[in-house]
Amino acid sequence: MRRSLPLRLLLAVTILLFLLVIGLPFWWVISGSFKLPQEIIAREPTLVPQSFTLQHYVKLLDASAYPTYLINSLIVGAASAALTVLFAVPAAYAFFRMELPFRESIYRAILLAYAFPGVIVLIPIYGLFAQIGLVDNLLALIIVNTTFALPFSIWMMRSFLATVPRDLEEAARIDGAPTLVILRRILVPLILPGVAAVGVFAFISSWTEYLFASVLILSDDNRTVPVGFAGIIGQYQIDWGLLLAGASLAILPVVIIFSFIGRAFVSGLTDGAVK
Amino acid sequence: MTNLTLRGVTKRFGETQVVSDVDLDIPAGEMVVFVGPSGCGKSTLLRMIAGLEPVTNGRIEIDGRDVTQAEPVERGLAMVFQSYALYPHMTVRENMGFPLEMQGLAKEEIAARVQATARTLQLQDHLNRKPKALSGGQRQRVAIGRAIVRDPVAFLFDEPLSNLDAELRVQMRLEIARLHRELNATMIYVTHDQVEAMTLADRIVVLRNGRIEQVGAPLDLYDNPANAFVAGFIGSPRMNLIPATAWRDGDRVRVMLSGGELLLRIAGPMPPDGIAVQLGIRPEHMAVTGGAAVTATCEAIERLGVVSYLYGRLADGTAITSQVDQNLARTAPGADISLSADAGRALLFDISGQRIA
Repeated sequence: MRRSLPLRLLLAVTILLFLLVIGLPFWWVISGSFKLPQEIIAREPTLVPQSFTLQHYVKLLDASAYPTYLINSLIVGAASAALTVLFAVPAAYAFFRMELPFRESIYRAILLAYAFPGVIVLIPIYGLFAQIGLVDNLLALIIVNTTFALPFSIWMMRSFLATVPRDLEEAARIDGAPTLVILRRILVPLILPGVAAVGVFAFISSWTEYLFASVLILSDDNRTVPVGFAGIIGQYQIDWGLLLAGASLAILPVVIIFSFIGRAFVSGLTDGAVK
Repeated sequence: MTNLTLRGVTKRFGETQVVSDVDLDIPAGEMVVFVGPSGCGKSTLLRMIAGLEPVTNGRIEIDGRDVTQAEPVERGLAMVFQSYALYPHMTVRENMGFPLEMQGLAKEEIAARVQATARTLQLQDHLNRKPKALSGGQRQRVAIGRAIVRDPVAFLFDEPLSNLDAELRVQMRLEIARLHRELNATMIYVTHDQVEAMTLADRIVVLRNGRIEQVGAPLDLYDNPANAFVAGFIGSPRMNLIPATAWRDGDRVRVMLSGGELLLRIAGPMPPDGIAVQLGIRPEHMAVTGGAAVTATCEAIERLGVVSYLYGRLADGTAITSQVDQNLARTAPGADISLSADAGRALLFDISGQRIA
């Protein structure tokens, strides 16, 4: 479709505007993390850094518990993402294909989980975990994050399953594949974009989770980045350089994950299946 | 070599009955084609045989073994889908090897059998490709290969050629016929295309509204349809079915229709005088004559080279088709013509469509 020049200009300007709105904070954080403290708090902010230093990073990694937080967050995030995918795939398949009584009602009901703010269940969950000795344990965060990511993940996964032609499943049944084999060998490879999307969603939810991490974790050794990092800031008044360096590092894993999983988002995996 | 038996097979989806009380015996090695208009239940019937659709009532037997409740894999059947249903993330080799892998065969044996099947279907050069890199005909062959490779007790085909273009369809039709000869296997083939049915079948099963209308060899159905539906469905162009009244005239029947009358010799008992009937007569049993017969108006002529067909209308608007020879093929649309019929080949059906004679 040919677009007129003014229209194309308008589209280009709009895209540029959005890019700026989204990109500018990132640029501010990342470029700021390499500036000398004087420049960060200079009366006239500089868009292009005039100085370069790694002192904030050195301080962050050497003199604070940030590396521990980072590792804890990675463990919790990776485990939550893996568990979420592990449960969401079979659950979504059950909602999608199996004939269960009240299937549609249950399917809608699981989204009801999001009708309540997490705060409401915070105290009961704390009580529950206290009884089984999971307080101040990373496993508690993994369980909570997985639980909160699952309803939406199941919901998302089911719509991905719906894109796989039914004939493929039936062909596999005729070929003698049991349900779990169909799921693992036929369906999961075809909904990899969905699996990736669910995994990334669960990882990021866990990565940014603050409320439960702040209540269920007591010792500094078990803190995750959001909570631990908040502590760093308070501890030394506001060290802006340290704050920006910490924020930059917190973005990094998410960027890395996207660059690795990105290719799985490519659609068109079912090309050539039918027709 | 396997025979299949259906006894009173019925399928209901909620209140709608899509297959009603089907009885059928398919002897070993036979190619049976289920044919009928869309929605006649032919695919549902096939899916019940495959085990993909639960049977509401009745029994399905394979070699005398009751498989009505059996899982698809326990029936040992192979099926080729209309959409081919190839696994898109697997290569041709993996697609064809998948059923063997599910049987738990050793890697070497799988490789050998896939190789042999690929040779039969001329797919050796494509074994490492994925389905999306193949043409429609090649995909269809892979789907057939995946069925053959496991050496099933019988083959089920669900409209396997309807996604192919006309030329390829003819070619694949011949290939399936060749496979049937070579494998000597029991095959059930579903199509809505009566030409496919006529060319492939040992026996055709004509279905309508979930019921069997008639079972028989292709030419039996063509020459001796049990009712007006089968008469109209089998054969292209369709058999003419013209409303008329029948009167006895000596040892013949005089059939009065709009625009004329025909004197027919019929087999079987004489119909009562004045009965309303449908006169069934195939286009090739009609001819344009100079003499008095039935008058019609020519609407169009279809010149196919070997034969030509004249499409016209009787005085009351009933459509009529007649084969015409080449020198009459230049009749102008709008011209009035006289048609005669081969008195020995006409059929009579009552108003409900049942064959009278």
